[in-house]
Amino acid sequence: MEYVIEMLNITKDFPGIRANDNVTLQLKKGEIHALLGENGAGKSTLMSILFGLYQPTSGTIKVRGEEVVVRNPNDANEMQIGMVHQHFKLVHNFTVAENIILGKEDTNRGFLNMDDAIKKITALSERYNFNIDANALISDISVGMQQRVEILKMLYRDAEIMIFDEPTAVLTPQEISELMKIMKHLTEEGKSIILITHKLKEIKAVSNRCSVLRKGKYIGTVDVGKTSIEQMAEMMVGRKVLFEVEKGASKIGESILSVKNLNMTNKVGKEVLRDVSFEVKAGEILCIAGIEGNGQTQLIEAITGLNSHFSGNVFIREDEITHKSIRNKTLTGIGHIPEDRHKHGLVLDYNLGENMILQSYFDNEFQNYGFLDFEAISKHTNDLIERFDIRIGRGERTSARSMSGGNQQKAIVAREFDRNPDLMIAVQPTRGLDVGAIEYIHKQLVRLRDENKAVLLVSLELDEVLSVSDRILVMYEGELVANVYPKDVTENDLGLYMSGSKRGAV
Amino acid sequence: MNKLFKKIIGFPQSESGESFLSSFSAILFGVAFGFILMLIFNPSEAFEGIGIILTGGFEAGRSSLGTVLVNSAPIIITGLSVGFAFKTGLFNIGATGQLTVGAFAAIFVGVNWTFLPGNLHWIVAVLAAILAGAIWGIIPGLLKAFLNVHEVVATIMLNYIAMYLVVLGVKETVFNSLRSESLSVHPNAAIPTFGLDKIFPDSSITGGLILAFIAVIIIYIILKKTTFGYQLKAVGFNRYAAQYAGINEKMNIVYSMAIAGALSGLAGAVVFLTQSGIHITTTYILLPQGFDGIAVALLGLSTPIGVLFAGIFFGYIKVGGFFLQRLAFEKEIISVIIASIIYFSALSAIFKKYVRKVFATKKNSDGGDE
Amino acid sequence: MKKLLVLVAAMVLVFTLSACNDTADENTLPDPNEGATSFEIALVTDIGTIDDGSFNQGAWEGLVEYAVEHQFTHKYYQPIEKSTNDYVDAIELAIDNGARTVVCPGYLFENAVWLVQGDYPEVNFIILDGSPHNVITWDDASTADVDETVTIADGAMDFTVEDNVQPIFYTEHESAFLAGYAVVQDGFTELGFIGGIAVPAVVKFGYGFVQGADQAAQDMGLADDAISINFWYSNVFWETSEVQSTAAAWYTGGTEIIFAAAGGAGASVMTAASQEDGLMVGVDVDQSDVSETIITSAKKELAISVYDTLVEIYGGTGVLGVTAVFDVTNDGVGLPQDFSRFDTFDQAAYDIIFDKLVDGDIIVDGDNTQSLATIIAKYDKVEVSDEN
Ligand SMILES: Nc1ncnc2c1ncn2[C@@H]1O[C@H](COP(=O)(O)OP(=O)(O)OP(=O)(O)O)[C@@H](O)[C@H]1O
Ligand SMILES: [Mg+2]
Repeated sequence: MEYVIEMLNITKDFPGIRANDNVTLQLKKGEIHALLGENGAGKSTLMSILFGLYQPTSGTIKVRGEEVVVRNPNDANEMQIGMVHQHFKLVHNFTVAENIILGKEDTNRGFLNMDDAIKKITALSERYNFNIDANALISDISVGMQQRVEILKMLYRDAEIMIFDEPTAVLTPQEISELMKIMKHLTEEGKSIILITHKLKEIKAVSNRCSVLRKGKYIGTVDVGKTSIEQMAEMMVGRKVLFEVEKGASKIGESILSVKNLNMTNKVGKEVLRDVSFEVKAGEILCIAGIEGNGQTQLIEAITGLNSHFSGNVFIREDEITHKSIRNKTLTGIGHIPEDRHKHGLVLDYNLGENMILQSYFDNEFQNYGFLDFEAISKHTNDLIERFDIRIGRGERTSARSMSGGNQQKAIVAREFDRNPDLMIAVQPTRGLDVGAIEYIHKQLVRLRDENKAVLLVSLELDEVLSVSDRILVMYEGELVANVYPKDVTENDLGLYMSGSKRGAV
Repeated sequence: MNKLFKKIIGFPQSESGESFLSSFSAILFGVAFGFILMLIFNPSEAFEGIGIILTGGFEAGRSSLGTVLVNSAPIIITGLSVGFAFKTGLFNIGATGQLTVGAFAAIFVGVNWTFLPGNLHWIVAVLAAILAGAIWGIIPGLLKAFLNVHEVVATIMLNYIAMYLVVLGVKETVFNSLRSESLSVHPNAAIPTFGLDKIFPDSSITGGLILAFIAVIIIYIILKKTTFGYQLKAVGFNRYAAQYAGINEKMNIVYSMAIAGALSGLAGAVVFLTQSGIHITTTYILLPQGFDGIAVALLGLSTPIGVLFAGIFFGYIKVGGFFLQRLAFEKEIISVIIASIIYFSALSAIFKKYVRKVFATKKNSDGGDE
Repeated sequence: MKKLLVLVAAMVLVFTLSACNDTADENTLPDPNEGATSFEIALVTDIGTIDDGSFNQGAWEGLVEYAVEHQFTHKYYQPIEKSTNDYVDAIELAIDNGARTVVCPGYLFENAVWLVQGDYPEVNFIILDGSPHNVITWDDASTADVDETVTIADGAMDFTVEDNVQPIFYTEHESAFLAGYAVVQDGFTELGFIGGIAVPAVVKFGYGFVQGADQAAQDMGLADDAISINFWYSNVFWETSEVQSTAAAWYTGGTEIIFAAAGGAGASVMTAASQEDGLMVGVDVDQSDVSETIITSAKKELAISVYDTLVEIYGGTGVLGVTAVFDVTNDGVGLPQDFSRFDTFDQAAYDIIFDKLVDGDIIVDGDNTQSLATIIAKYDKVEVSDEN
């Protein structure tokens, strides 16, 4: 059998941690090969090695049967290897075309040959139905579109081997199914794909084979057609995984959060929130469902205070907090797992310990007379690392930037849960997490609610919406269009509400 | 034993080791570049020349070391000012303006407030400089925080405003009309030497160096150990996360600029509160110590300790350049050589990347899963 | 990044190459500095650079001319910063590097020379336009220039000039006399004088200018009060809008030419001159390059004075520790040799009047302590309106 890529016995050490331990991965021509593993299992690391970002501590790489050394991404490009990173690497104030040609500029006597580039990009975009305007600014296009730009970047460089690191974590269900189509199309043309994802359904849907890593070790490769989702999950975690959330009946109490008549228009004058009113009660997990970009982000920003340009009122119990400072809101008992972990959730240049006190550094627990108490911080952090199973190399001194995407998310979750807030606002809390971690976080949400706290969950994933929440509000174009209970609706019904084709009582 | 060995082996890969190595390679590069220039312009004396630059600080023994330190003290402090602001996400190009107003305040008090007895005189003069510099820093801070005026633009403009205002102020209040420069400060207003003159005889050393050390320690503590520094840095690293954490970004910008300004103001006092016969002249030039601070901060990678060494290095190289005049080099070429060494050295941030590459087989602490 | 570095390097090269171009002199004598490791004659620059078009440059030109002619190694040094201490360091570096004569261009060196003169008895110091003295305390040092008898609480001013030091002063009044004479001879009748602060040098320039104008009027047989001179001490040595507007008002009011002996304030007059199409007389050095409006300059012959002093030191009687005055008799002051910006006044006319000064046929009164009124009273051809 002919392999286009073989990574043989790869080991990679980071200070304090062995990220890959004797891992072998073989990619066949024309296949979609899934790479599965828990957060921090070493998937991104392995792919970064293939792409030349890291050098392996030991092991060999063969491309089309020949042993090679990939010293840097340029080498990788020359070997026709392309990669879409877990977090995109686009320049926001450049246009699509400028981003695509970046680093591979064709010049004509020192001048950029932009016209030819744009022609080529447009042709590629048409061929794969990407529907992309080469002259649009990156900052103006949706995340799904940005991902297509990343794919175009690979195609523009004639990549034959494509690595997708968690491409679906940031996409809407619609975008996901379109991406799947694109990937199929690409393999039909003879390209080979390595796909990293935590969503077993996706693996099941598109890939041919699947290799599993656990804590840096290679567990095995299976034929996806002959393996069930449960089996793959077990291979990955090392135990049986519950896909159903276990929870008892909720005991609804007093109103914790009430939102009255929120209205917001954005910078270009578009109404993004229209008269939004609702309550979250103690002992309740209320979920805001909807397709991305229908006002969920703005709603949360208004409640948490990240954006103050809105009208309407927000109350915690009886107290109006509409225009209180964020600090003030935090102290009245709001926890917030933000949508964008890199933008809001973490200071990447701080280490884990420093990130764990982001909202409480001023607390007497962590400071004396204005001086940080590093011992207390360290103790606190190590406690959270243990409780939330954050997998890292160097304890509280690990830089947040070096943590795996899923572990970054776990750290934020840990920090917010630990503050034990009366109201937990969780925006896509399980984005990028492995099934085991998702299970854990769902349990925690349920535990909070059982302790008579209120949970406001924003999720794009219907599975999650239906299995975790006690009540569901559907948002469409800045309005609440349905108020339903999970037992009363099907995925299909929800889909109709979310796409605006159906309205219910709110 | 084993531990120590590991430490030494691991040094290039540790955070501070990496910084040290990158700064060091930047310096080597700068010196190599200076050497090439010498080879071009005066090949026969190039070797001797580079020797003089590298040993210049010791050329005349302790007195020239004293001169090194005299020149280092103010740029250490302006380097701190720029570096501190940078750590908190602000680019303080205004060090020279803040230094100028600080210098004026110091001289004003130093000349006029002769009713202050003994040590009180210089202390008040230094405090006045700090205050004036702080005010000059707060202005762009407020503009940035509340009107969203970019601090680079604001501080550049304030540099010129400071320059003109201070020349005017000097003329109106502390003017030596015959020499067209500021009056000399009262001896009580000169920063005492704290015994440094015994260690470095025959140099115009003042206690400015001690003040620079104190400033380094204070800034180090603020940035590393306090909640105040924690929140300042958080804003600098990621203002959105800081906002999410409930940190008042606007006030932080103002505080940060106030401290940066206060430092530069202090540098002004250190330059002019001396009896070495230096004065503010009425020519309209921006004082160089402020701009040197930018280079110092870059070489020192904005950390207080790094800035301390970078400032001493620059002072050292300047004195080396002065002694290079021994040889047949044209003064212009000496200036070019010294400037090249200084500014190439300031590129140490670039070298950090390469240092990391070189040691990359063993380690990759940053830039991982991003 | 690499590209950037290359670019920077290239720029540095271009810059430095162009900077050293102008050092290749036209003279045919061998360069005495060739291969030298120690330098006999040195100059230390003050605040400005060597090509400042003023004291540094003038003194350096004289130094180089002498040194090349007599094959002395020579070099100039720039202090690190601009304090007296830095001047001292630079002087000591020069001496350490072999200097036996150090030229200090300008009064800023007065204190520095005072400090080093005793330590290096074997080294000769030439100081231009100044004389060594100490600085006793913080606020009165400056007044010592004006009144040498000032003593202050903390101690006495010390004006010791060791006999290895040659202070040089110039007869500003003679230089200004020649300028005043030349412009009136050339047909100007409406003149102006703007001085800086009324320090002796400035006063001498002003009085000399008035006398020169009067002399020319007499020689030309003009009527009494045929010449009018606006006379004003601006009290500043730096650019101000007041000086500029005053000069502009004079020009629009009919003044044809203004002699500005006011340091930096001269630039304000120059601005007014070019705006109002007026003319000017420059000061200290030949300023014709600075502005088209300057038709001549009341010069101090810095180069000559340095050259001649070096001749004295190396071939003559040596330095005496006594102030040397450079005047018309030793070509120490005068007008530039280029008369092309005059209409009629020329070299021949200049030589005649210059010789009269040298011969003592005409004596210019350089007493700066007289009041302006007293001096005006002596001359009837000019009408001086004192604007103070
Ligand atoms: N540059 C680095 N320096 C130090 N440790 C690192 C670095 N990059 C990754 N690691 C560590 O290596 C381990 C593997 O990380 P990796 O990013 O490969 O995980 P992953 O499988 O992609 O996880 P996720 O699903 O969360 O993205 C983690 O424990 C991480 O903390
Ligand atoms: Mg990953």
